[in-house]
Amino acid sequence: MTAACIHQPTALWPNGSAWRTVLPVTRQTVQSQARNEAEIQLRACMAAGLDGDAAAHRQLLAALTGHLRAYFARRLGSGSAEVEDLVQETLLAVHLKRATWDRSQPFTPWAYAIARYKMIDHLRRGRGKVHIPLDDAGALFSSDDPEEGAVRTDLERLLGQLPERQRALLEDVKIQGFSIEEAARKRGVSAVSARVMLHRSLQFLSRAVRHEDR
Amino acid sequence: MKTGDLIDLLAQDAGPAPPGYAWRRLSLALAAGGAAALLAVVFWLRCQPLLAAVEQPWFWMKAIYTGLLAVAGALLVRRLATPGASLRAAPVAILAVIVLMAVLGAAQVLQAAPAERLAVVLGNTWRVCSRLILTLSVPIYAALVLAVRALAPVNLTRAGAAAGFAAGALAATVYGLHCPEQGAAFVVVWYSLGIAAATALGALTGRWLLRW
Repeated sequence: MTAACIHQPTALWPNGSAWRTVLPVTRQTVQSQARNEAEIQLRACMAAGLDGDAAAHRQLLAALTGHLRAYFARRLGSGSAEVEDLVQETLLAVHLKRATWDRSQPFTPWAYAIARYKMIDHLRRGRGKVHIPLDDAGALFSSDDPEEGAVRTDLERLLGQLPERQRALLEDVKIQGFSIEEAARKRGVSAVSARVMLHRSLQFLSRAVRHEDR
Repeated sequence: MKTGDLIDLLAQDAGPAPPGYAWRRLSLALAAGGAAALLAVVFWLRCQPLLAAVEQPWFWMKAIYTGLLAVAGALLVRRLATPGASLRAAPVAILAVIVLMAVLGAAQVLQAAPAERLAVVLGNTWRVCSRLILTLSVPIYAALVLAVRALAPVNLTRAGAAAGFAAGALAATVYGLHCPEQGAAFVVVWYSLGIAAATALGALTGRWLLRW
């Protein structure tokens, strides 16, 4: 289901390539147009998400994921295991810090500053060594979906460090696909405290990722 | 964990987030830190009765100077504590306030007889003033660090410097209750030095303390 904030990207040239012959469109115009497009859509999702629209928030994170993956891959080399680590770390940060976005400000500079901060922090922690796994030729010629790379810091493993009750709740939501309310009912806790537990678990994850490999 | 699974988890945690979060955190920190500095003035510096100085015009000369710096500093912290925000006019305002005070201080020195000019600048308490302001700024800075960390600073040295500056300016305002000095020249030199020291403390420690 598509949330209301993301609509199909409008074509840059409404009439096929007809515009090209009329207007001298530079590469820069195309890029800034794409950026404006992203700004408008992501901003709408972010604002709706801050008002409590979970579907819009999911759309926002999903749309950001592609941008983040491309951005980190350009800087760290695609296929680097760091890329997906950083994507996940940044998604956690964007989520946990979303209240710091001021609605009167543009959204994309906010998100970009967080992604850049997370990458610098990551490199500063000494985890930015280029990491090339020893593989067979299959790695080069594989027809795997190149979109999502492997992760090095597995959040799954970090989840194991959570207190039992929090971990059980998280598994219900993540693996069984329960909503947080359903998981709360199953575990016999109130929906409010289940929400608090989920939020704390995510904060814990974000901290734990940073302390990995120190 | 697959990134898609993570997004599912995060979407489950998408409760409404009320606007104004950054200001709430920062004003709470300034209030708590300021109260701690006030308690230190009362019980450590033994400034009693606390509000005796308020009746004097020179108290207000100092309070307006440091108060304006504190307000501008708080604006600066607010900007540097959230990603992608520009600094706007706060640095210019800070500079303008300091220059204005320096002009007042210079006028005061020039009016004094040449033999007394040094005494005008040094006052009676120049040995302790800057040091006490720096000490009083520490609890305010600590409270601000906690608040700024909960936000999302991306330039930690600058954010730390801004937090140190705001803490120093607020500490100087509180210290004005205790300080017996009456001259603008004294204030612009020794108060500013104390605030500058707090700013340096913030700049040096920010990159370690503010990481998130």
